[in-house]
Amino acid sequence: MEARVGAEAKGDCLVVARQAERASVAVATKNRNLLEAGIRAVADAALETFGRPGVAIEVQDQGALDYVLAARIETAVRMVLPDAKLTRAERVERAASDPDRPRRSRLYAPGNNPRLLVGIDIHGADCVLLDLEDSVPPGDKAAARVLVRRLLAAVPFPDEVWVRINPLDAGGREDLAEVLEGRPHGVCLPKAESGEGVRELSKELGKLERRLGFDVGSTHIMPILETARGVLRCEDVAEADERVAVVAFGAEDYTRDVGARRTHEALLFARSRVVAAAKAAGVQASDTVYADLANDAGLAEECARARDLGFDGKGAINPRQIPILHRAFSPSEDELAKARTIVEAAREAESRGLGAVAVDGRMVDQPVLERARRLIKYAERLAQGGAA
Amino acid sequence: MTRNALGREIPDRIGSRKAIPFGGAFAKTAAGTKAPRPQKAAVQHEDKVLPTIEAAIEACGLASGMTISFHHSFREGDRVINLVLDACARMGLKDLRICPTALFGVHEPIVGHIESSVVSRIEGSLNGPVGAFISKGGKLREPAVLRSHGGRWRAIEAGTVEIDVAFIAAPQADPYGNATGIRGKTPCGPITFQAVDAQYARKTVVVTNDLAPYPVFPMEIQQGWTDYVVVVDEIGDPASITSGTLQLTNSPTNLLIARLTVEAVKASGYFKDGFSFQGGAGGLSLAATKFLGDEMEKAKIVGSFGMGGGTKMLVDMLRRGQIRAILDGQAFDLDAIASLREDPAHVMMDPGMYANYDSRGCSTYKLDAAFLGATEVDLDFNVNVNTHSDGQLLHGIGGHQDVAAGAAMTMITLPALRGRIPPIVEHVTTVTTPGEVIDVIVTERGIAVNPLREDLRERFRAAGLPVRELGDIKREADRYIQPVRRPVFGDEVIAAIEWRDGTVIDVVRKVEGWQ
Repeated sequence: MEARVGAEAKGDCLVVARQAERASVAVATKNRNLLEAGIRAVADAALETFGRPGVAIEVQDQGALDYVLAARIETAVRMVLPDAKLTRAERVERAASDPDRPRRSRLYAPGNNPRLLVGIDIHGADCVLLDLEDSVPPGDKAAARVLVRRLLAAVPFPDEVWVRINPLDAGGREDLAEVLEGRPHGVCLPKAESGEGVRELSKELGKLERRLGFDVGSTHIMPILETARGVLRCEDVAEADERVAVVAFGAEDYTRDVGARRTHEALLFARSRVVAAAKAAGVQASDTVYADLANDAGLAEECARARDLGFDGKGAINPRQIPILHRAFSPSEDELAKARTIVEAAREAESRGLGAVAVDGRMVDQPVLERARRLIKYAERLAQGGAA
Repeated sequence: MTRNALGREIPDRIGSRKAIPFGGAFAKTAAGTKAPRPQKAAVQHEDKVLPTIEAAIEACGLASGMTISFHHSFREGDRVINLVLDACARMGLKDLRICPTALFGVHEPIVGHIESSVVSRIEGSLNGPVGAFISKGGKLREPAVLRSHGGRWRAIEAGTVEIDVAFIAAPQADPYGNATGIRGKTPCGPITFQAVDAQYARKTVVVTNDLAPYPVFPMEIQQGWTDYVVVVDEIGDPASITSGTLQLTNSPTNLLIARLTVEAVKASGYFKDGFSFQGGAGGLSLAATKFLGDEMEKAKIVGSFGMGGGTKMLVDMLRRGQIRAILDGQAFDLDAIASLREDPAHVMMDPGMYANYDSRGCSTYKLDAAFLGATEVDLDFNVNVNTHSDGQLLHGIGGHQDVAAGAAMTMITLPALRGRIPPIVEHVTTVTTPGEVIDVIVTERGIAVNPLREDLRERFRAAGLPVRELGDIKREADRYIQPVRRPVFGDEVIAAIEWRDGTVIDVVRKVEGWQ
């Protein structure tokens, strides 16, 4: 049997593997003198993790980084020799993240596309989401899992990194079994429709965390509500498990499911409901992606409306959207100044023993004060940056 | 053999000339006089038009061993270099020295002419296939000499390079020898690069596909310099002057670099009314130019001038009143050519004006900021644009040295991670431009500031920009790739890289093995 993994595309490589008497590696690259030795070293190390089984490997290099090469080779070997025993790499050290940390942006990256994955960590996204679901064709799922696992091990993300798995019964369990050892901060569950589904994922995560020696409960869950059923049951979903840190809304699938056009009005019910369910459960709400890459003004407007509704962040399909998201979901200078005035006025009133206080002629009651305090704290967190 | 100021080993001679080792970007002082120009005269009613290239070669008395020159404004679309060299070959000429302002892939037939000894020496520039051929052992009689645009002009004025016949592709010319590149059937942009050739060459031949009645203008090439005018069917394809480098990048990494670059400009202290900059081609530079225009608009800043190669991006800024002028030696698209014809604020320059070290003024010295690319940079901020990491000579210098030396803030925009070949290295394979004139290196993983520019470092830090040590950026990028092997160079010198003042900043040696 012959396995072909990867592609002859920039930043990737094509690996062809066949069963053979002895392990062997052939390398084709445009820069043989410069690169062959390095590529061979990566290939040898990858074969070593299987104890150098009888596989002949051909690598056609197109500028793939080491972890991409290693992932492609590993996938090819496993396809040719399904029973080959893989010595897992050393443990990935990545501290668990605070479930309440700011997530103004969640940047999607297709899990089997090295060209788009390389450098995904440098764009300042609060949360990078490596996707194994919709952006990966069924035939590429196995390759994508290995690539995402290797990427997680190789790249020290400055902020959060999550993985979007497939629905549990449609490959999601296999996804988890492969990628959790890469120690993602969280797992994103698509098409969430019930609390039961979330708890099932949580149980699965617990089993793996125990096996891998991670703190049980340290991996967060982000259910995506993107069906009519999901939106209607979002309270169950948001409250289902301690691991749920944020609930996301997905408009693309939702509009298809209910037969809606994608207008603000058509989505208002679903969005409002998702926000209310999230906040009732004490977790964050993240809005859907905005697909028109060329329209920065449209994105900014949708962000402003989402924030008005109570969303804490939004999905991004391209790094260039991130600055716009961050501007929209960070407190403005005006808001901050006002919040500081309110907190200051309340402190002064308390010290003078006054019960109520007014700022700019408006009564400051307890909820207003609470909101002002929260805003200041949030801004401080943003200023500090960092995932942990 | 001596070591120059950068520690590079320079042989005592390059070909038949004594080599002067590079001593610093502005170390050389001008002295003496420029070379004399040949005496020429015309008689009334003289007819300068000749029917064929062969007729011109004959009339000029071009013989084996002589030097001929060309410009590159048609880039990949050029027909004239091949046309002339084919004619020389047919006429049995040998051992010619060619002195082009640049060569491109379209000039691959030169390889055949070198193999058959029609061409034996090259001065000026080497790009693509000819460079690859020489790197792989194809023999020239003497090492090639690479010069910047300003350096080439200076070398001709100094008499270092004597040109016997200049062949000047002219999109429009009159029978009396006035010629322009911005009019005619196939405009290619200014042809001012060869104005110095036209004045210093023993004979000057204008080659046009559009002979128009006297007077043709603007007169980049003047009647007083031109000996003959030849009309041919085709001189070049203007569709190719863009060289495919005029698409705004859509790579997230490059866009991030472009944005960081513009943020750095904003924080640099130069970003105020009267600001001047050099844009250039290439997806990343274009994106940076576009973002810069957006920021100038937001900040209501009016720049003094933008320097080309002219592009639609610069022309749009001029039309919107964001800059007061464009100073242009080349055009990178047809919009720039149209603007040169129509807008008096779009000013044509020659390299003698914008880049000549031996002159009392260079437009590049008036630049506040410039964005330039690089094949490699090293921890001393030296830049290589000539050779690849495998030692192959593949690119000319262009205006890199002239702009870098001139601009108050020279910024190299460069991905820290570019496939498996690291762009940030310990020591560049070849030094094109010395670190002392490179101020900032902008990568997707942070901005490195030359220690000589503590002022900029402070400003960038204060603006919250990600200022990092170049070595740290390198280490971070190198984690993702196995080290590459390095070429081992022999003694044989295949090319000399001249600094713009005529000293030798580095040489390219033949690769003999691998570390």
